[in-house]
Amino acid sequence: MPEEKDKKQEECLECEKKKKDARWRDDFPVKWDSDNYVTRREMVKFLALGSLTIAGANAVVAGLPHIVKASEMPKTRVALASFIPVGGSTLFSYPTEEDPCICVRQSNGDLVAYSQVCTHLSCAVIHKAEENALFCPCHHGYFSVDRGKPLAGPPTRPLPRIKLEQQGNEIFAVGVEV
Amino acid sequence: MSTRQAQGTTLFTALLVLVGIGVVVQLWLLATSVDALMRHQGGTAVHATIASVIVFTINGLLVLYVFNFDRKIKRDRN
Repeated sequence: MPEEKDKKQEECLECEKKKKDARWRDDFPVKWDSDNYVTRREMVKFLALGSLTIAGANAVVAGLPHIVKASEMPKTRVALASFIPVGGSTLFSYPTEEDPCICVRQSNGDLVAYSQVCTHLSCAVIHKAEENALFCPCHHGYFSVDRGKPLAGPPTRPLPRIKLEQQGNEIFAVGVEV
Repeated sequence: MSTRQAQGTTLFTALLVLVGIGVVVQLWLLATSVDALMRHQGGTAVHATIASVIVFTINGLLVLYVFNFDRKIKRDRN
């Protein structure tokens, strides 16, 4: 008999719960299905906002190089100008000791310097005077001496150019052009 | 559903798809911009931005058109 009583009591509790639930539903007649339903209008608004955000992000990406100014580069001595003959080259490090660079005197007497790190897979490029090019022995990449542009092989990006300054007979590296 | 309303629904769905395609194109342009930035090719990023702004303008105009159409239908109903 006590078991039956317990059952009845449980049933009553459930009834009360349902009644409460129903009252709550009367007060706040929100159907979850329709509440979670995203209308086409909302979707279009969301897409338009997304479009604006992406356009803004694109503008930020395009403006980033202009916003972030290059930090001041050190001035490092490269070599004596008379030390590099026409068609010759010398190695140096710039801006840090871990950044190998190469300075080449072109056939017209002008000096140019580039990072020695190949833009393909970071091997060291060497100067090939007979071909008037910078050559990467790892994957046979070629770069032009006058501009550092890729001529042949797998590299697609030019070598970063090192800005040079001549003071008397001495050559100094003063910046990096990327 | 009246003919005008049915037309509106079709129009709305079509424009939703168009705007969606525009957003996908913009995402592709953004990816191109970031790639150009990493390659230090500022010109490409600028061009991608211009294209992205144009696509956004088209999207915006489409959305405005849709909401104007919507308002028109409501006005007609009233």
